Parts: sequence; C-alpha cells; structure tokens
Amino acid sequence: MPRLTARERREGYQREYSFQKRHGKPFFPNAVFHDTIVSLIVVALIMGMAILWHAQFGAIPAEATAERIGGLLGPAYEAKADPGVLGYDPRPDWYFFFLFELLRIFKTPELLIVGSIIIPTIWMVLLIGWPFIDRNPDRRLSRRPIALALGVTVPIVLLTLTFYGSKAPGAAGQASTEPGAAAFAGGACSTCHTLANAGTAGNVGPVLDSANPDYATALNFITNGKGGMPSFKATYTADEISCLAGYVATWAAAKGTTPGPQAASAKATYPASCTKAGGLFAGTATNAVGP
Amino acid sequence: MSTLLPPPGEIAMIPVDWVEERSGAISFGKFMLFRNVPKDISWLQTLGSALITVFILQSTTGILLAMYYQPDPDTAWSTIQWITNDATLGWLVRGMHKWGSSVMVVLLFLHMGRTFLFGAYKYPREMTWITGAIIFILVMGMSFTGYLLVFDERAYWATIVGVNINGTAPILGPALSYILMVGPEISTHTLSRFYALHMLVLPSVIGGLIFVHMLLVVRLGVTSPPWSRMQPTEGDV
Ligand code: HEC
Ligand code: HEM
Repeated sequence: MPRLTARERREGYQREYSFQKRHGKPFFPNAVFHDTIVSLIVVALIMGMAILWHAQFGAIPAEATAERIGGLLGPAYEAKADPGVLGYDPRPDWYFFFLFELLRIFKTPELLIVGSIIIPTIWMVLLIGWPFIDRNPDRRLSRRPIALALGVTVPIVLLTLTFYGSKAPGAAGQASTEPGAAAFAGGACSTCHTLANAGTAGNVGPVLDSANPDYATALNFITNGKGGMPSFKATYTADEISCLAGYVATWAAAKGTTPGPQAASAKATYPASCTKAGGLFAGTATNAVGP
Repeated sequence: MSTLLPPPGEIAMIPVDWVEERSGAISFGKFMLFRNVPKDISWLQTLGSALITVFILQSTTGILLAMYYQPDPDTAWSTIQWITNDATLGWLVRGMHKWGSSVMVVLLFLHMGRTFLFGAYKYPREMTWITGAIIFILVMGMSFTGYLLVFDERAYWATIVGVNINGTAPILGPALSYILMVGPEISTHTLSRFYALHMLVLPSVIGGLIFVHMLLVVRLGVTSPPWSRMQPTEGDV
C-alpha cells in the first residue's frame, strides 16, 4: 500500500464520505428507530436481571450470614462488613476477574507488580494510543492481518482469564486464613509491609519475610514504633498487639503452610491471643465499622 | 381580540424561537438529529446509543438510591437493606443499578470491539476512540468505587485487595492507597471518598466525555461498514 500524503488522505476520505452521505439515509428517524429498538431490549434485559435476582433471593434477612448462596446470576447478599472476620476470601465483581487471575499468576511478592501494575498499565497505554499504533489506512479486515489477529486473541485471553478468575478460590492479596492475617492485610500493616503469607506488598517498611522478626521484636515494634513505624499502642488492645506480633513472628518467611523460623518464639501466645482478642479489633475498626 | 393574537401554532413557537435566538439550542438539536448517515450502516452500530441509554438509566437509578443511601460504615449496609426490603420498588431500583453496571461493561466491550473491527478509529476518528478509551477506564473506576458502597463482607474485603493492588506500584503505590483509603485502613473517610468519586466526580467526567464523544461522532459522521460498496466512481465529485 503506497503511503498517502496528509492531503491525499484528507481528500480521499472527504470524497468517499461525502458521497456516502449524499446517498445515505436520514439519521432521524431511520437510524434512531434501530437505536430505540436495541435500547429497549437492553433496558428490558436489565429489568429482567433485577427481577430474577430479587425473585431468587427475596428480602435481605435481618441477620444475613456471610454464606454465599449462588443463584443464576451469582451470589446473594452478604452480611455487613466486619473487619474482625478472619480469613474471609474476597472476590471482585466479574469484570475484574481477569485482573484477579493475573494476580494469581504473578503471586510471589517479587512478581506481583507485573500483574498488578505493569501489565494493566501497558494495556491502558495501548488502548488509548491504539489509533497511533495502527497506521494502516485500510479498514477491510482481510487487509489488516495484525489487527485481525489481535481482535481474535485479546478477547480469547480476556475470556480465559475471566473464566479461571471466576473459579479461583481466593484473592492474591488475601491468601492466608491464619488468625491475624486478615487484620494484618486489611488493617494498618499492609500499606507499609510485604508479607507473603498475608499477600501484602507494601514497601515503606522492611519486607517482613526477610527481616524475619521474632515475637519479642515484633511486639516491641508494634507497641512502641520506631523510625517510620508508628506505635499502635493507642490503636490496639494488648491482646490484639500480641495477636499481630504472634502472627508476624509465626508466618514471616513461612514456606506455604509450614511456619517460619521464628514461629517457636510466639508459640506460647499465638494463636490463642487472636482468639482472646475476640471480635478482633472491634475497638479500632469500629470507628470504621460498628458492630 | 382574536385578530390581535397570532394563530396557536405561532404562539407555541414563541418560547422556542426565544431560546433559539439566545442559545442556538434548536439548531444544535437539528444538527445532531437531521443529518444523513451512510445507507448501509449495520445493527452493530446501535451499541453506542444503547450505552447512552444505560448511562441515563444508571444516573436515574443512582440518584434514586442516593436519596436513601447513607455513606456511613455504621448505616450503609442497613440503608441498602432498607432500600431492598422496604422502599417501594426499591429492590427494582437497586437491582437495575447493580445489573445495569454489568450490562454497561459488556456493552462497552462490544462497542469497542465493533469500532475496532470496523477500523472506525482510523483517520479522522482517532479522537473519538481516545475519548471512548478514557470513558472505558473511568467506567471501570465506577465499578470499583461502587463495589464498596454496599459495605457487606464482599465489598469490604474486595476493596482492601483492590487498594493493596494499587499499593504495589513502586514509589507512588503506598501513597496512592493511602489517598484512596484516606488513611491506613478502610474507615468512614474511605466510604465518603469512594461515594464522592462514585456519584459526583466520575459520572460528571464520564458525562462530559460522552458529550464530546457524541460531538465528534456527529461532526465526523459514522463510518460505513468496511464491506460497504458505496464508493464514488471517477466522475462523481
Ligand atoms: C507507616 C508505615 C508502617 C506501618 C503502617 C506499619 N509499619 Fe512496621 N515498620 C515500618 C518501618 C519504616 C519499619 C522499620 C523501622 C526501623 O527499623 O527503623 C517497620 C518495622 C516493623 C517491624 C520490625 C521488622 C524488623 O525486624 O526489623 C515489624 C515486626 C513491623 N514493622 C510490624 C508491623 C505491623 C504488624 C504493622 C501493623 C500493625 C506495621 N508494622 C505497620 C513502617 C510501618
Ligand atoms: C459510555 C460509553 C460510550 C458511549 C455512550 C458511546 C457512544 C457512541 C455512539 C452513540 C457512537 C455512534 C456510533 C455507534 O453507536 O456505534 C459512537 C461511536 C464511536 N465510539 Fe463510542 N461510546 C462509548 C464508549 C466508547 C469506547 C470505550 C470506545 C473505544 C475505546 C469508543 C469508540 C468509538 C468510536 C471510534 C466511534 C466512531 C465509530 C464510527 O464512526 O463508526 N466508544 N460511540
């Protein structure tokens, strides 16, 4: 295909398009009629889904359980948020499943950023910049092999990721069901610390898997703070701090379900302190979430 | 008396002319509606207008929900419960808002696929594509911020995971999750912030971009399908 000058391109386009317009049909009412039909179908579909959802689950019970009862359109309502619930296994809405699955593929702390930031950023740049990347002026698919190949593979990849994401048991960011993990991941620690067991990847403070603190160290840091690490004395009760310290000491540098090397230092208090803390962290997160 | 008054048809036109003379709104409406489109445009080209419909639907149901919803961790979930169980047709409004968001995302993918396969982003429609792509990303932001508002277990934990994902970005990441959550953990402020983004910031920007998108579509005209045989011949200028 010969390269066109800007002027040839403009004139060629104008000649073709003004011809098509001249021999075209009026937008109103002809095209508007088709638009209206499709819009009505779409609205009917949405109403249908709302009705089906309601018909399957009815009213939200006063004491909604955290149980997920699957209906045709997915899970029913769930209980009110409670940061104390340990080991909840969160899932995003279905259109984030592809991202969710990417995160499961790149789940080690070193690779997490590939799935969480690098790939999505590249994807967004490609999406916005696509008209400048594809310079082929032809619009017929038979003359656009690369675009056609992309047009076929991208949906397949997205659908595959979405499918596996929908089957995935848990989130990368919330891998652990150990007592204290949810509080660590959901509370104040995840923003600053990487801890593989909790699935967090903060990088303000040290990577706890490498620092590998024992129980006494962790207890001291959480209670008193040091440098960039704030003190949590005013935020958490003694039991809660003991639970967090026990969790960190036990699961830092853990291999899968085998506790890490400092686990023994916490044995006397962990996980009992987590149970003792009861409706865990009720005192803190309650400013956020009342019982 | 009657001779002094113009005929009813003309009276009806007085306010219309008044508005037209001062704003040009009527000729603008005519410009948007009374134009020719290529004869052979296909049904696939109705998806964009369906998206406008869904956007209007989401705005309407969203406003109705906002009249009862309280963005407060103590009461958010109970107001949702009240809307679903007790408000007249509340379950329908909430259900339509919830499922409308899913339908909107599906339609976005289909519309994007259509314009991609038609090569409709090529000269001179690059800007139409770019505004669309930004809308797409913002709509994903709508889904993310909307998810927390129900404030049930799923919403809470999924948002934590989402914010932590942001947090993995180098340098800016932790600051970003801090800004999103307004602090180190999800609190009253997080909910208010998500609510403000979800019902004020993002929809206004999306609405504005849809308007620009439409101006571009009308100015440039919709493409004929790539298989169109409507080509000018030599003598036809
Ligand atoms: C604002 C960021 C920040 C938050 C939030 C934070 N930390 Fe830290 N943390 C740090 C920094 C920075 C250090 C290193 C302090 C030093 O050694 O000077 C640290 C150190 C630590 C250490 C000692 C590691 C070692 O052996 O050197 C532990 C254990 C720890 N933090 C646990 C926690 C836990 C548990 C939480 C949640 C309750 C938490 N941190 C919340 C920033 C933070
Ligand atoms: C809320 C979101 C959107 C709305 C309301 C919308 C609306 C519309 C409408 C009504 C048209 C006219 C033709 C048609 O219906 O196909 C159109 C065309 C177009 N849209 Fe969108 N759109 C949206 C999102 C997007 C996205 C996400 C993209 C791509 C990234 C996109 C790219 C385009 C392009 C390139 C055209 C020109 C097509 C042509 O001239 O044939 N739009 N849009």
